[in-house]
Amino acid sequence: MITLEAYLILSGIIFSVGLAGVITSRSVLKVLLSLELLLAASNLSFVAFSKFNGDYTGQLVVFFIILVAAAEVAIGLAIIVLMYRQLSTIQSDELRTMKW
Amino acid sequence: MSPLFFYLFAAILIFASLAVVLARNPLYNVLSLVVAIFSLSCLFVLLEAFFVGMVLLLIYAGAVLVFFLFVVMCLNLNAIPLPNALQNRFRCLGTVAGLMFLSSVFLALKSFLKAQTMEPSSLRGTIESISKILFTDYLLPFELTSLLLLIAIFGIVSLAQGTLSTGKNIENP
Repeated sequence: MITLEAYLILSGIIFSVGLAGVITSRSVLKVLLSLELLLAASNLSFVAFSKFNGDYTGQLVVFFIILVAAAEVAIGLAIIVLMYRQLSTIQSDELRTMKW
Repeated sequence: MSPLFFYLFAAILIFASLAVVLARNPLYNVLSLVVAIFSLSCLFVLLEAFFVGMVLLLIYAGAVLVFFLFVVMCLNLNAIPLPNALQNRFRCLGTVAGLMFLSSVFLALKSFLKAQTMEPSSLRGTIESISKILFTDYLLPFELTSLLLLIAIFGIVSLAQGTLSTGKNIENP
């Protein structure tokens, strides 16, 4: 029998890996991918709590998170493509100027 | 709810998410995120959240990550060698932050779960039961997400046109 604790530990591990990825990676694309990992970890704990509490609300929240993440990824990738056109790189520390 | 499947998919999920962060080639990053999302949706099925697992597989692995892959192939990225000191500093900082977060998760779980042991309920997240709630209690947020997606489409189209609000061409600023 898998307990709630096992799911929460797994979710915590995935979240830590994603957090380390957001901080360490300097390519903007990798930062977006690590953000997806953070969202996936929180989705897992939402569904686990929903199952163990007997409440459907957690699964609905996951549904909304997926919708919002789709919008976020689309906008983020559009910005990445624009950044590549402008600077011909996607390293985040090349973004030094705010206005030109 | 077989424990064997849980440990199998949990191991796949952890290794795939490590590969997302550690792999050098951006293509491998995206593809291992596909593997991670797939095993995550298998875990959702083990938790009997069938609808959410299906949506995750369709939208994430099907649409979002293919979009990622498309952008990676479009951009023709090359690995850029970094100055070593800078790279090490970033790597130490990120690893320390991740480990600190992990230990705080364990501490929080120790204090949280000693008091109560929860049993899994007989909840089954089928399409019928999810949509029954979605179209009664959560109808307004559901409609608002359509507005959000519409705004996202506007944003993408205006970004992809390639002109800034000042009317200056972005190709030669």
